[in-house]
Amino acid sequence: MPFGVIYIAIMPNIENPTEKTLAALTINDPLAIEELFANEKARFDKQLAAKNPDEVNYALMKNAWLGRKAGVLTLISENWLKSAPPTLKPIVGQSLNQLKRHIEESLELFWVAAEKTSEEAASTRDRVDLSLPGVIRPAGSHHLIRQVFQEIEDIFFSIGFSVVEGPEIETPYYNFEALNIPEFHPVRDDMDTFYLELPKSATTPLLLRTHTSPMQIRTMEKQKPPVRVIVPGKVYRRDNPDATHSFAFHQIEGLAVDADITFCDFTGTIEYFVKQFFGPSVKTRFRPSYFPFTEPSVEFDVSCPFCGGIGTAASGGTCSKCKGAAWIELFGAGMVDPAVYGFVNYDAKKVSGFAFGIGIDRLAMLKYGIDDIQVFFQNDVRFLKQFP
Amino acid sequence: MKVVYTWLKDFVDVTATPQELASRLALSGTNIGGVENGAHGAVIEAEVSSNRPDCLGHLGIAREVGAIYKLPVKPVLPKPAESTAKASDAVRVEIQTPDLCGRFTARVIRNVKIQPSPKWLKDRLEATGVASISNVVDVSNYVMLELGHPLHTFDYDKVRDHKIVVRKARPGEKIRTLDGIERQLDPNLCMISDGDSSRAVGIGGIMGGAETEISFSTKNVLIECAWFEPVAVRRAARFLKLHTEASTRFGRGADPEMAELASRRAAELILQLAGGELLSGVVDVYPGKRTPKKIRVTRAELLRVMGADVPDKEVESSLSALGFAPIRIDQNRGAEGSILATWECTQPSWRAEVEREIDLIEEIARIYGLDKFPPRLPAARQGAARLPHYEAETRLRERLIGLGYREILTIPHVAEERDALFRPEGVAPARLSNPLSEEASVLRSNGLVTMAAALEWNLNHGQRNARLFEIGRHYRLNGSDSVETPVLTLGATGEGRQKNLYEPSREFSFADLKGDLDSIGALAGSFEWHEGGPAWLHPARRGRLQLRSNEIGAAGQLARQVAEKFKFRQDVFLAEFDLDRFCSAVRAAKEARRYEPLPRFPGVERDFSLLLPDGTHFSSVVNAIQALNISEISGIEAADLFRGKNVPAGKYSLLVRITFQSREATLTDAQIGDYSARIVASLENNLGAQLRAQ
Repeated sequence: MPFGVIYIAIMPNIENPTEKTLAALTINDPLAIEELFANEKARFDKQLAAKNPDEVNYALMKNAWLGRKAGVLTLISENWLKSAPPTLKPIVGQSLNQLKRHIEESLELFWVAAEKTSEEAASTRDRVDLSLPGVIRPAGSHHLIRQVFQEIEDIFFSIGFSVVEGPEIETPYYNFEALNIPEFHPVRDDMDTFYLELPKSATTPLLLRTHTSPMQIRTMEKQKPPVRVIVPGKVYRRDNPDATHSFAFHQIEGLAVDADITFCDFTGTIEYFVKQFFGPSVKTRFRPSYFPFTEPSVEFDVSCPFCGGIGTAASGGTCSKCKGAAWIELFGAGMVDPAVYGFVNYDAKKVSGFAFGIGIDRLAMLKYGIDDIQVFFQNDVRFLKQFP
Repeated sequence: MKVVYTWLKDFVDVTATPQELASRLALSGTNIGGVENGAHGAVIEAEVSSNRPDCLGHLGIAREVGAIYKLPVKPVLPKPAESTAKASDAVRVEIQTPDLCGRFTARVIRNVKIQPSPKWLKDRLEATGVASISNVVDVSNYVMLELGHPLHTFDYDKVRDHKIVVRKARPGEKIRTLDGIERQLDPNLCMISDGDSSRAVGIGGIMGGAETEISFSTKNVLIECAWFEPVAVRRAARFLKLHTEASTRFGRGADPEMAELASRRAAELILQLAGGELLSGVVDVYPGKRTPKKIRVTRAELLRVMGADVPDKEVESSLSALGFAPIRIDQNRGAEGSILATWECTQPSWRAEVEREIDLIEEIARIYGLDKFPPRLPAARQGAARLPHYEAETRLRERLIGLGYREILTIPHVAEERDALFRPEGVAPARLSNPLSEEASVLRSNGLVTMAAALEWNLNHGQRNARLFEIGRHYRLNGSDSVETPVLTLGATGEGRQKNLYEPSREFSFADLKGDLDSIGALAGSFEWHEGGPAWLHPARRGRLQLRSNEIGAAGQLARQVAEKFKFRQDVFLAEFDLDRFCSAVRAAKEARRYEPLPRFPGVERDFSLLLPDGTHFSSVVNAIQALNISEISGIEAADLFRGKNVPAGKYSLLVRITFQSREATLTDAQIGDYSARIVASLENNLGAQLRAQ
């Protein structure tokens, strides 16, 4: 009935129609209902258009229209929809949904506009200066030697080597005799050794191990082949300290013994390690050498990874790392001497194996260009920070 | 050993350049220090390993060259002219200690003219770094460098009774050696004596005596060329601290067969350079003559050790060139490359160290070329294991690094008095009997002494902020046994928080240390803190650490009197605990850890502002509350603490925040009111607390 429309149109200042039921508004035909909703829509649009898009207005509008307790839509639902006669309910419901969608969509647009405005405002005032530092919570660091240990351990672990550790204070038996280095062997002259002061009652002298090799013996004493271990640790030689000598330094011993380990397995293992450590392009070389506890013994060289094995640095001068030699001597190794098996009750006719001893400090110095071994032990935080 | 390239050519017609030659030598087992082109041509510095005394002469190196290049080595066949008079009438030799001296040869040359050496001889000696003295002395050096066998020349007329007696030194005996030094002897030393053997004229294998030395007035020369037992020579050299060219060669094992030949070669050269008359024959006492050992090498063993084959021809040519005279003795000897191939070799007198099949395999492999054995990666037959505490230690490291601690590594050698500052009473330190210095004479009995030193280093180098940790060991003696214990040591000084744009800086405090330790402790359950602690810690700011009631360490501020010893001008905090026990606890805690369902009902916090008498510990508050057995209490925190201002003297104010939470339902105000009343009553009755506000 057009009456309602007229009523609303001519009585615009009368109380909010959404607070009354349709009956109270004396509206009973679909056209009038549509008119009623059109008015509400117009009212919303007018209000929204009058407001600056910002967060406060958005909240206000949202609350006024969509608020669950007293929002306009809630009132419409309560007052118009619930009590509508069954014939009008569908049209009221439909119109309500349309209005709701319109309000939500308009508010969404309003919100986007609000965000844009606030961003613009904040851009000059609140925006972070990315060139300023954040709050640093300083992290610590692993010691460089530990990092190199870890890298080497991981490489060997990946090819089946277990990690074991042993005492740094050793007996001459483990450090020398059982490694086929009897007393007065000339090799002992090269390993000037620290000894402990012991009570007279002591049955054996004690010394600081000069290499990690005693763990070869201790490991084989404890287990039968197959043996595959690496032994990281500190070792000691009684050398006066200078840029390349420290009376304490670090080694990783390796030992593999089994029924069928050959020289080819040995060189293959070492090559694998070195290519993992220095990169696949590095070349390797084994030179015959002599150690009492290995035979054949070798010195192991790699092509200088710094000049690419040509002896000449990129600058054109002599490579400072290999001193022009193109090769760098890395460590000593070899097939376990059968005499050593005699000390651990292995049958030298049935088993074979290899052993190696890698000097960690030298390796780290080479790889990172450190020219003074003492920095490892001074623990200056400026040094420690360089290797996070 | 300096190898003169042209000298080498006396023995082998090598055509390779010195550089090439050096490189081939290096790859076949003679370590090369470098090649120099000097005034006398190329000189190769050969760093001969201690098992190869035969390479301490040009002939030995030539043999290696011959084997590498498959070139013949010219034999040494000196044929000096001899007079009719017999050497055996002119000199007598007696060896009383055949265990120390296996051979002694003597030749006599009369009427020599001692004079400077000719240029060619001086040049060669100079090229090898040996000073020229006179023709006769130079000859003995020359022959040693040529054939690798040391000789000694006596002034024949100064040798009493023209008789040599080789014997052990006598108690209290002394000798003045060629270098003019009087030396005290040890009864184990092998001495060369003359006449009735009362006078020593040389130390066997090491150095001659001054009294019988060749001089420019010497007329008649006695050439000694002997062989001494290597271990005895090494012992003697070490006892005398006298390491000579002779002791190096004899000490590593000279060739006994070479003694006579070297003597003959020396005689030939002396006749040539100093004239004179060589008495016929040689006095040769040779109690230590050895029959050459036979050693077998089989292809089967070669394959088993090396993993790849070497052709028959290569096996035979390398062994022959090195003097091992290989002979195939197996039944299949007609068949080349037979798996059954067995060679019988004869040990040459100059290679006493080659005794076993493996030694021959090494000889074959190094001459054949180690690069010819193809590298391969062996298959693993079992899984690999990490160290038992690997995981726990890794977690600990991660956490420490996250907390800002930097790992250090230290050398355990420290000064006795510094170690003592931190050493628990009753602990026996591990002292070195031969330290390099007093500052490094004891192995640390704790990790704190080296941690303090690391902080000291940093403070002395302008680095006032440091947070450090070390995973290391300490070393102690238990009777005559050593005990090494892994420990974690922490050290911190300087800022606890750096100044930045948003916050001011703050000095590291005991609370920082305690918080850091509790973060670590969470890995292992949690640390229990107890009053007291070692004397190196500040009595008011220290604590003992326990894990499941086991004492594992201590933490706190460094005591003032210890800090003064290090001249620390700022507070230093230290902690140390037993690493094995901690890691075991980490493992146990990990095993025991189970999921606890998250609460479904909200928790409620209530603050209690208490006035407490000074000296009342927070733990007493906690205990008093826990004693009420209110299961809905899920947390008790100290939220604020202050003294002074409105707080009466003798009291302090503590804000305690309690969280109530039930697993069954949302708590009602009435329930919380009831709990709160009980808590307040308990605190008032048990601790004399007053409630300020709630």
